[in-house]
Amino acid sequence: MRIEVPTDFGYTDEHGLLRGEARRFLNERLPMQELRKRADAGVAFDRGLWKEIAQLGWVGLVLPEAHGGAGLGWLHLEILLEEMGRRLVPGPFLGSLLAGVALVEGASDAQRARWLPGIASGDLVATAAVVDAAGAFEARDVASTAEPVEGGWLLRGRKTHVVGGADAGLVIAPFREPSGAVSLFGVDLPAAGVCAEAETCIDPTRPTARVAFDGVRVGADAKLAGDAGAAWRAMLVRGFAALAAESVGGAESVLLTTRDYAVARKQFDRQIGFFQAVKFPIVDMMCGVELARSLAVGAASALDQRAACAETLARMAKAQASDVFANAVRKGVQLHGGYGFTWDCDVHFYFRRAMWSRAMLGDAIHHRRWLAASLFEG
Amino acid sequence: MSARAEETESKENAEFRREVRAWIEANKPSHPGFKLPQSFLEVESERQFTFLRDWQRKVFDAGYLGLDWPAEYGGKGDPHKRQRIVSQEISRASAPFLVNVIGLQWAGPTILAYGTEEQKKRYLKPILSAEEIWCQGFSEPGAGSDLASLTATAEPTDDGWVVTGHKVWTTLAHFASWMILLARTDSQAHKYAGISYFLFPMDAPGVTVQPLVKMTGEGGFNQVIFDRAPMKKSALLGQLGQGWQIAMTTLTFERGAAEGTGGGSATPSESSVRAVAQLAKRVRREGRPAADDPVIRDRLAQLWITEEALRLTGQRARTAGLNMEDRPLATRLMNKVVYSELGQQLTELACEALGPDAGLWLGDPCAPDKAEWPRAYMNSFGVTIGGGTSEVQRNIIGERVLGLPKTK
Ligand SMILES: Cc1cc2nc3c(=O)[nH]c(=O)nc-3n(C[C@H](O)[C@H](O)[C@H](O)COP(=O)(O)OP(=O)(O)OC[C@H]3O[C@@H](n4cnc5c(N)ncnc54)[C@H](O)[C@@H]3O)c2cc1C
Repeated sequence: MRIEVPTDFGYTDEHGLLRGEARRFLNERLPMQELRKRADAGVAFDRGLWKEIAQLGWVGLVLPEAHGGAGLGWLHLEILLEEMGRRLVPGPFLGSLLAGVALVEGASDAQRARWLPGIASGDLVATAAVVDAAGAFEARDVASTAEPVEGGWLLRGRKTHVVGGADAGLVIAPFREPSGAVSLFGVDLPAAGVCAEAETCIDPTRPTARVAFDGVRVGADAKLAGDAGAAWRAMLVRGFAALAAESVGGAESVLLTTRDYAVARKQFDRQIGFFQAVKFPIVDMMCGVELARSLAVGAASALDQRAACAETLARMAKAQASDVFANAVRKGVQLHGGYGFTWDCDVHFYFRRAMWSRAMLGDAIHHRRWLAASLFEG
Repeated sequence: MSARAEETESKENAEFRREVRAWIEANKPSHPGFKLPQSFLEVESERQFTFLRDWQRKVFDAGYLGLDWPAEYGGKGDPHKRQRIVSQEISRASAPFLVNVIGLQWAGPTILAYGTEEQKKRYLKPILSAEEIWCQGFSEPGAGSDLASLTATAEPTDDGWVVTGHKVWTTLAHFASWMILLARTDSQAHKYAGISYFLFPMDAPGVTVQPLVKMTGEGGFNQVIFDRAPMKKSALLGQLGQGWQIAMTTLTFERGAAEGTGGGSATPSESSVRAVAQLAKRVRREGRPAADDPVIRDRLAQLWITEEALRLTGQRARTAGLNMEDRPLATRLMNKVVYSELGQQLTELACEALGPDAGLWLGDPCAPDKAEWPRAYMNSFGVTIGGGTSEVQRNIIGERVLGLPKTK
């Protein structure tokens, strides 16, 4: 397989404009005090903020224009998610994104017309229930079942870590049919038999839920019409790329905070950043961030080109960004000393985000296993 | 199979690449049957040197060297900056490297930047053709990382200077016609201000080149003793006392920060992860292919990620907006650290894949791949130390890119 992305990644001034816009908006609208207020009050989802970012075109950024989206590419999204990751933007963005992708890739026109405009406008909070029993998420591991019944299907199964699951009006989820084939279903919520229970998430900015389907009757039109296997895979690959981009942003923020602290804090009559035991880990953090960013940008560009290497790059990006973010928060806490260990220091919010994001959609161990198979047996 | 790292490129460049690829396939020399150096850092024998010089000459004669250099100095004045393509194709084909690396990659570009018209006319073309090999006399026994504490002196004479001092780790000095030399010309001036930069003739009287033996047992670098060795006025590059500034330019070229300016490259093949993957399939650990070992697989996958990330970072560094406006220098300055440490980790992992056979050394008839992997692992330290150590590079990144306080 050749890893091909255009020399310039398809980058244009327009991408730079989006970055500037996002940074400005988030600096103003979501300073750290604001995030803290929400975290302290236990509010991870705020419909007002959700509508605001939907109006900016972010929620529908990569959705087709025909269905109310902005019709932009994955490089745009990469840039936006980096900025959102820097600011730990709370809410169900990831869930909504994955649901949108699943619909774009695997639904009929009628199904798209039914759901996508609401998603793009922010009126319909959608999510994808990615994690099935026992923490598995690749299509082969789906244990939830869909049983054909008169006029539709009966759905059974348990999904966990569903982003925005308790606030969603639509959940897209995979179920296995008796034939063994996995299909995707769109279930409008609330629905009889669906119990969405908010989880206590390590990351107070991520509203997640356990969603149980205890014999849920849905109509025939709830089953997405396209090739479910391909849609699921496309959704996962985009999910890897998206979480990678967001993690790069988070790690970048920790890098800057830690750098600033190493410049400001003095011990032994010196700025602590003078000591190489402090300086070098910060440098390594930066190198890690830049490498992960290159992969995230490369993966986005490959997705824009629909290049065959997109999955490889997206998995590399997810693996690298997960580890880089985890390393950044580990060093970030340590290098802030006693202050770093307090609730007052912002780093723990990133720590929590890093813990969650690494664990979701496959950590580095998971993706390296896939990559090794591709390297040795592919 | 694994990823072949390649950019989508313009039709013109792709066509040029195909042409170069075909030429290299048709012209690359077959293995001469004696041990070849792994890089320009360990060229020890006359026959190794001749073999490599002939190859560079051939590449030059075919018109594939000096593409980016102006035509009036023997180059091709190629507006498309396609030397990079040639370098990539040489690596790709595992063809021999171009032996005059110091001339092509650092002396040449520095002369282009600071040389007089006369100097450019005199020195550049023989660099490309490998008629004149260059070496670098910067380091001294007491001045390594702290290069500015160097003590070699150039004393003025009627028609030039005489040099007295001691340089070490001087790669290729035993084959070189010329040396880029740093020497103190003003003992009163401030540490940095008293240094000048010279183009020194290695055949001058009073110069002694003594080979040093590396940890691998190979030769390749030397110490050079100067005992009132004379050079002409025209040997000075730039202004008197400008040496430190010019040296920083050279180091920037050397550390790969100014990518693509060189006339060729000695960089090892960019598919080295693939090479180790192939190795792991061939060799056995505990009775099974090393490629079946989950730990080896996991670690090699990580190095693949790093390799690909590094390649994409190089590509990103050439894209204005994606070079991240916040830290424009970062992607360029981190290259050397990441690259050299990746090489080290890869070759070490290759040795681990060998199992007990990693204990066999050059010359043993049963050593896998003639013990090239343990040799490469040892030689990888030349790259993490030479050209500025990884530690010094981290200081530079911390201070220049991140604004951390200076360590010194
Ligand atoms: C294979 C090879 C080829 C070379 N070829 C040439 C050549 O052709 N021409 C030439 O001029 N030179 C050459 N060199 C020399 C090379 O540039 C120096 O070895 C290098 O700059 C380090 O200097 P040093 O050896 O004196 O080590 P030192 O500076 O003494 O360093 C010893 C250790 O201390 C660490 N250290 C030193 N200062 C600091 C600091 N401020 N912060 C943290 N750690 C520090 C170093 O990283 C290193 O680990 C070559 C070296 C090698 C290995």
